Amino acid sequence: MKLFLDLDGFQPRRFTAVALIAATVALAGCSSTPPTDRSDARDRYEDANRKVFAFNMDVDTYVLEPVASGYRNTVPEGGRTAIDNHLRWASMPSTAINSTLQGKFENATLATLNFLVNGLTLGFADLSEDDQKVDREDFGQTLAAYDVPEGSYLMVPVLGPRTTRSLTGNVVDIVLNPLQIFGTGNTADAVRTAQAPAGAVSFRANNFEAFNDVKYNSLDPYARTRSVYYQTRIGLLEDRVAEGAGSAVSEDEFDSLFEDSN
Amino acid sequence: MVRRRFLAIAFACLAFATLPANIASADDRQAAAGELIDRMIADLQAFLATDTGDVASRSAEIDRVLSAYFDMDTITRFSAGQYWRAANADQRAEYGTLFREVLCGTIVRNFDQLNGLEYSPGMTSTKGDKFVIVGGTFTDTNGGRPPVAVNWRVLTREGQPPRVFDIEIENLSLLVTQKQENVAVVRKNKGQFIALIEAMQARLEAPLHSN
Repeated sequence: MKLFLDLDGFQPRRFTAVALIAATVALAGCSSTPPTDRSDARDRYEDANRKVFAFNMDVDTYVLEPVASGYRNTVPEGGRTAIDNHLRWASMPSTAINSTLQGKFENATLATLNFLVNGLTLGFADLSEDDQKVDREDFGQTLAAYDVPEGSYLMVPVLGPRTTRSLTGNVVDIVLNPLQIFGTGNTADAVRTAQAPAGAVSFRANNFEAFNDVKYNSLDPYARTRSVYYQTRIGLLEDRVAEGAGSAVSEDEFDSLFEDSN
Repeated sequence: MVRRRFLAIAFACLAFATLPANIASADDRQAAAGELIDRMIADLQAFLATDTGDVASRSAEIDRVLSAYFDMDTITRFSAGQYWRAANADQRAEYGTLFREVLCGTIVRNFDQLNGLEYSPGMTSTKGDKFVIVGGTFTDTNGGRPPVAVNWRVLTREGQPPRVFDIEIENLSLLVTQKQENVAVVRKNKGQFIALIEAMQARLEAPLHSN
């Protein structure tokens, strides 16, 4: 069994966890932006976050965007679906654990079955005949279920937007992932090593046009990214995005529509 | 005593009598909102069937659709957030024109993504007495993209025709996103509404990135 802090040799997923912790500590050390200078009350470290966002956009321009473009143009649709299936499969143990912690036992069972059945192909093929979809659950959502406050908005280098709570959740998910702890051997290591970059490229490729529109054509790409992140995250916390069962936006948001316009 | 009992019975009868009318009214609003969306989709499909890719005709069509099916006054006002109140009449008028131009440009830029999409209506629900959410799904007939869930928020005010004021794609409200972005621009410029107008002018003048 590998221990998380056993650093004899480079382990990308452990590196990610360490980077996440370092980013949290570094951002916590930043001086907060005065409330009057913030463009959103939730964005306590806005000045520092905007600098990190500019860095992330440079990384995207020079690395991620060209790679994602190449990926879309060269990997056939079947291959892209297989990679998406595998990435989803790899998150099932975490979903099963977090669903259990949140009392969502049906989802935990579905995640476990999905992981076992599709494990025959390392998740590259979806062998499950059940149409019922597994809702992804992470430790950030588990913390939210236990009423842990979401904390500040953080722009994490390379990884993108998070809240303090979701970032903490990411670290715990990496540490607790059974694949991380029990998977051994060269194949397991190779697969693990490829997961993080493959996930980033796949996400960028799947959202290529929408991402580019935010990046190149919006008035304030940083503010738009923050808005999209919060709406998506709220939807996930309320189990709405995956089910398509309603709206992530509170209807109270529209109260001002019906006020006097003067 | 008899009078009090009579009043209680009368109130109960009145409440009972108005109940079906209210339910019918909610049904009517949902039906009207659903019908509006169906008409709009049919309109767009008819245009797409003869679309040649000409940017000017696409822009004209989008402008027509916005006028016919969307409550642009409400959308414009909401998208400026609380700073709408601080803007003077000239600024409001200028912002309205620019906002419409930016919106048209965004839709035209992404117009090609509409090709090959098939729309199927979903569930409809009433939100209070002001608006209705009409659900639906866009499916790529070529199978290249996963299905996309969409919610249309439709204003259904008494005595006025129903009008769309927001579109949610995969639970992401386009209006709320635009409002939060616009408010951020104004706040970063010390609450000056004119800064938003200038940012929009600069955006329109800059060469746009197309996908």
